[in-house]
Amino acid sequence: MRVEDRCEGGVLVLTIKERRLDARSAPELKAKVNALIAQGFGWIVLDLAEVEFVDSSGLGAIVSGLKQLDQKGDLVISGASEPVVNLFKLTRMDKVFRLFPATAEAVHALDARVHRG
Amino acid sequence: MRHLPIAASTTTEAHDAQPPLTPDKNIVEAPAAKPTRDAFATSIHEYLALVAVKDWGGAEPSERLNAVSVALRRTIAQRLVETERRYADRGAKRLYYLSMEFLMGRSLANNLGNLGVTSEVSREVRALGDDLARLEELEQDAALGNGGLGRLAACFLDSLATLGMPGFGYGINYEFGLFRQSIDDGFQSEQPDQWFADRCPWLIERPAEAVMVPVYGRVEAGVDRQGEHNPMWLEWRHLIGVPAEMPIVGFGGRTVNTLRLFSARSSDQFDMAIFNGGDYLRAVEQKIASETVSKVLYPSNAVAPGRELRLVQEYFLVACAMRDIVRRYKKSGGEMSTFAAKVAIQLNDTHPALMVAELMRLLVDEEGLRWETAWDITVATLGYTNHTLLPEALERWSVDLLRHVLPRHLELIFEINRRFLDHLEVNGIASGEGLAPYSVIEEGPTPQVRMAHLAIIGSHSVNGVAALHTKLLQERVVPQFAALWPERFNNKTNGVTPRRWLLHCNPALAALLTELVGEGWPTELEQLRRLETHADATDVLSRLAVIKRANKERLATLAYDTTGLRIDPASLFDVQIKRIHEYKRQLLNVLHIIHRYVAIINGGETPLVPRTFIFAGKAAPGYFMAKRIIKLITSVGDLVNRDPRSREWLRVVFLPDYRVTLAERIVPAADLSEQISTAGKEASGTGNMKLGLNGALTVGTLDGANVEMLEEVGADNIFIFGLSAAKVAQTLEHYQPLTVVDNDVRVGEVIRFLQSAALPDSKLFAPLVDKLLSPFDEYVHLADLPAFIDIQGHIDQEYLRPAGWQRKALLNIARLGKFSSDRTVQEYATDVWGISVIA
Repeated sequence: MRVEDRCEGGVLVLTIKERRLDARSAPELKAKVNALIAQGFGWIVLDLAEVEFVDSSGLGAIVSGLKQLDQKGDLVISGASEPVVNLFKLTRMDKVFRLFPATAEAVHALDARVHRG
Repeated sequence: MRHLPIAASTTTEAHDAQPPLTPDKNIVEAPAAKPTRDAFATSIHEYLALVAVKDWGGAEPSERLNAVSVALRRTIAQRLVETERRYADRGAKRLYYLSMEFLMGRSLANNLGNLGVTSEVSREVRALGDDLARLEELEQDAALGNGGLGRLAACFLDSLATLGMPGFGYGINYEFGLFRQSIDDGFQSEQPDQWFADRCPWLIERPAEAVMVPVYGRVEAGVDRQGEHNPMWLEWRHLIGVPAEMPIVGFGGRTVNTLRLFSARSSDQFDMAIFNGGDYLRAVEQKIASETVSKVLYPSNAVAPGRELRLVQEYFLVACAMRDIVRRYKKSGGEMSTFAAKVAIQLNDTHPALMVAELMRLLVDEEGLRWETAWDITVATLGYTNHTLLPEALERWSVDLLRHVLPRHLELIFEINRRFLDHLEVNGIASGEGLAPYSVIEEGPTPQVRMAHLAIIGSHSVNGVAALHTKLLQERVVPQFAALWPERFNNKTNGVTPRRWLLHCNPALAALLTELVGEGWPTELEQLRRLETHADATDVLSRLAVIKRANKERLATLAYDTTGLRIDPASLFDVQIKRIHEYKRQLLNVLHIIHRYVAIINGGETPLVPRTFIFAGKAAPGYFMAKRIIKLITSVGDLVNRDPRSREWLRVVFLPDYRVTLAERIVPAADLSEQISTAGKEASGTGNMKLGLNGALTVGTLDGANVEMLEEVGADNIFIFGLSAAKVAQTLEHYQPLTVVDNDVRVGEVIRFLQSAALPDSKLFAPLVDKLLSPFDEYVHLADLPAFIDIQGHIDQEYLRPAGWQRKALLNIARLGKFSSDRTVQEYATDVWGISVIA
C-alpha cells in the first residue's frame, strides 16, 4: 500500500494514496502507524482524501493506531469523502475521531495542541 | 447485468405532428403526454436493432415481447420523471411501503391497460404481423411473494399510483421467486423459478445509488472524545445493495410511482485479502455468500425459527430502504428533526420490524440526536400492519442470533425495551412479573426477541386487515398493548385493485359494467351500486350468464391444455384457489367431494347439479400436511373423474403452478368461491373479494373479510355456514371429533371411505385422518363438515334457478365496491400516513 508521510511542525501527516482501505491494505497501514507511534510520533493527521472505500478492516487499523497512542497524543482524520464520513458515523467512530474537511485545518488544530503541550 | 436502453423523449415537435395513440375507453384522465404511433413503432425497431441486433421478422417472440415492453417504457419513463417533479415541486410527504414480498404478476397488459393504449398497441403489433395477446402470454410473472400479503402490497402500489399519491414500495429483487409447482403422480413437485430480473424490461437498474450494508461483527464499548460511553460497531462484513426500479403506472397514466427492489452484491468482485492470500475458492465462496442474500424468496411456513439467512434478508431490506429514504430526504433539503413530517414508513407485517432499531440507530448514532427526540421521530414515522393471528407465524428471533448478525441493533433493542418497561413501572402500569407480557424479550432457556412487540412499541399505528381480525388481534394476540395504547390500534380492511382484478382480467364483464353504470367505476368502485337497478332485468342477467359461460369455456380450455382433463363449462365451477394450508381447509372441501361421491356410489343418489371442483395453490415445500392434502385432492380426482358412476356429476381438477396470471384466468370463470377457513384463523383474505367482484357467489365461514362481505351483500346473497370464531374456541375446549362421526352418518361415511382401500394409495392419507379424528385438530374440520354439506346442498338448489343465481351474482358485483384497494389506501393515507393526492 502506498502512504506518503511528512511532518508539518509537530504534526505527522499520513496521506493514503489508495482508493480502497480494506482487508488487503489495512494490515500494512496498521503496522506503519504503530511503527511511527513507537518512534515517538504522537500527533497524527490521517489524510483520506483519495480513499473512496473503507471497510471494517480499514477502520480497525485506524482504531488500533488510536489505541496505541493511549491518550499520549491524538490521531485525527482529514479530507474524508461523504461515504467514508458516513461510515464513521454508522459505526459511531465520528465520536472518537475528529473529522476535518481539509488537512491544513487538521494540522492547525493539532499543532495548537502540541504547542499547548 | 444487461441494460435495456430508454429511448429519448417522444415529445419533439416532429413527433407531435403524428397521430397519438388514442387512450381506450374507461380512462378518466387524459395522459399527460401520449406516445405517438410512429415513435412507438420506431422504438420497437430501435430496440431490436440495438439490443437484439435483428429485425422484427427475425426476432424471437420473446425478443418481440421485450421490444414492445421497452417501447412502452419510453412513455412510462417520461411520466415517471414528470411525477417525481410534481411531488418535488409540492414538497409532498411520501409513504414508503416496506414488504418482503411483492406479488406483481405480469406487467405488460396491466401497463397497457392503465396507460389506456391496449387497443392501439394491439393494432400496431398486428400491423407488424404478430398478436399482442400471444406476446403477453410469454411474459413471466414476477412472483416475488407467497400469497395474500405480497399481492396486497402489489394492489396497494397500483392504488397509490392511481390515486396520484406519493407512495413507493421497497422490496428485495429475489433472483428466484416463489417456486414453480408441477404435479407428478399426484404429488407436488417444486422447481426453481428464476425470473431473470436482469432481463426484465420493467426494471431500471440504478447502480449509482447502491448502498452499503454492514452485518455481523461486534460492538466494542469504547469512550468518545468527551470520555462518555461510546459503543462502536467493529469487524462487520458488508453487503452492497443495488437498487432497480419497477415503474408502477397508475390508471389513467398520469402518475407513475416506483417499486425499488434491491439485489445483494459483494463489495467487490472478491474479498481482496482472501484472494491475495491465494485462497481463490474461499474468495469465490464469500462472493457467493454475499449475493445469496437476495437469491431466493423463502416460502411461507418454511422459515424455520433461527434461519439466519432470512434474518439477514430482512435486515438487508430495512437497511437498504433506510439509506435510500434518507438520501432522498436529505437531497430535498430536509432536516432530520422534521423527518416524520415528510416521511411515513409502513411495515408490511413484522418482517421489516427491524426498522424500529435501524431508524433509532441512524438517528442516534449517525445523526447524533438525543434518544428521546429520536424515539419520537421513529414512532411518528412508522406504522405496522399485522397479518396473522396464528401464534406460530408471529416472528421471534433468538437473542444469540441477533447478537451474532446485528450486534449494535440488539443493544438498541435492549435499550428500547429497558426504557419501555421503566415507563410501565414508573406509571404503575405493570411491575415485576407483570412486565413479562409486554417485554420485547421473551425470557427462557433461549431468550427470544418478539418482533411484533418491537413493531408495536415503535409505531404510532398498529392495524389489522379486516374488522374481525383487528378485534381478535386486540382481544387475543396482544390485549396488553391494546389496553395500553387503544389509540394506536385501528382496522384497515384489505382491498384489491379493480383494474387488474376486474377491468383487465374480465374485459367482457368490464364492458357490460361500463355500459350499465358508466365509465367511472374502475376508480370509484362504489359506483357499481348503480347496477342494483338492473337486478331484475332479465336481459342483463342473461348477458351476465353468457359472459360467465364464455369465461368458463376459456378456463376449460386452459384446464385441458395443462392437465389433459376435460371439464364441462355447463357444470357449476366450484373454486378454491389459495395457498394450501390446514387453516384454509382445502381438506374440508375434499371431504365434501368424498361425501358426494359416496352418496352416488353407496346411496345411488343423483346430485342436483354437476360440479367441477377446481383447486389451485402451492404448499410450502417443508409443510408435510399441506403437501399430503394436495395428494389427496389429486387422488380423489383420479377416482371420481374416472368412475363412470360419478364422472357425469363430479370432476376434480388441480391446476398446477398457481400464480397471479393463473388467478386472472380462474377468477372470472368461478361460479362458487370457497372461503372456508376455520373462523378466527384467516386475517382477511382477498381472493374472496376478487372472486365476488367477478360474480362468483361465496360459500364461507364467518372469518376474515367474509364477515364484512356478508354485511355488504346481504345474507341472501352469500352462503355462510359453520362455527364462529368464538364457537371454535369453545368447541376446542372439549372437542370430540369421534362424536361427530358417530352422530352424523354422512361424516361417518366420509371417514370410513378414507380409512378403506377405496383410494389406491389410502395409507398415504392416514396422517390426515388421524388429524381429523384428533381432539387437537385446531381447525375443527369435522365439527364444521355437517353444516358444510348442508349448505352445499342448498347451493345446488340455488344454482338450479339460473335467473336467481345470476341476480345474486349481480348483487355481489354491485355491492362489493368497498373492497377496492383504493378505499383501503385512502383510509391509510388519512388515518396513518398523512399523505395526500398530488394532482
